[in-house]
Amino acid sequence: MKTSINRPPTPDAEEDQDHQPTLQEIINIKMIESGEKERLKELLRERLIECGWRDEMKALCRAFARKKGRNNVTVDDLVQVITPKGRASVPDSVKAELLQRIRTFLTSVSI
Amino acid sequence: MGSHAQLSSQFFGDLLDSIIVDVASECHRIARLGLDRNLEEEEEELRLSAQARVRVADPSNSGEANSKYVVDIFGQTHPPVANEIFDCMNCGRSIMAGRFAPHLEKCMGKGRKARLKVTRSSTAVQNRYSQGSPVSTYSPYSNSTSTSRLSNGTSSGAGEEYSNGTFQEP
Repeated sequence: MKTSINRPPTPDAEEDQDHQPTLQEIINIKMIESGEKERLKELLRERLIECGWRDEMKALCRAFARKKGRNNVTVDDLVQVITPKGRASVPDSVKAELLQRIRTFLTSVSI
Repeated sequence: MGSHAQLSSQFFGDLLDSIIVDVASECHRIARLGLDRNLEEEEEELRLSAQARVRVADPSNSGEANSKYVVDIFGQTHPPVANEIFDCMNCGRSIMAGRFAPHLEKCMGKGRKARLKVTRSSTAVQNRYSQGSPVSTYSPYSNSTSTSRLSNGTSSGAGEEYSNGTFQEP
């Protein structure tokens, strides 16, 4: 059966034992544990729906599926199709709002 | 770029990528399940034309029986009796189009009463054709000076035409 998702191989456990968590990873953990990551993701999702971004992405996917044939489409295909446009077309106001929230969080956890 | 700004930006990017994967996954599902096809116009057209074909092929939908409710290709319905009203050129009355032929029969002389009407034809002609003949008082071979009012301007001669065929050549 054709796979429709490419998964990177699971990393071996032993290699990471001396590993110091990066700042990035620390923030990620704090974000998840406090529930802020979930809230931020929901906020971003809502804003992207409101401004029509999601509809645009769905239209791109539909067009691609029609061209390639809907049974030949993989999730990776669609991610590749919408990532460049998706990253570039987030409204500035939405990006600013999210960045502001993230910065506030960073300050609040003294990073 | 300050480290806070950099970290924020990176984190935002990760959030966005995660949402992109969600959208891609949902669209993948819609594509594979064919849920999107319902919105496509050509599918709609195919379905409507298949429905129409079924309706036409169905023998119980014959045009005559249901002509009251049948709709033509422009979406119009027509009443079983034509209901446009105009004036009869013979007697001048207002007649409904669908009732014109029976009216004309009476009006022009098929009926018993019509023959008693005073007409512009000469009485000689009237007498000649008055004995039970279904022919009207307007003879095509009339030597009277009258012109038939039904003829739309053609002078009386051989074979004047009446569109609903009530006139007979003698």
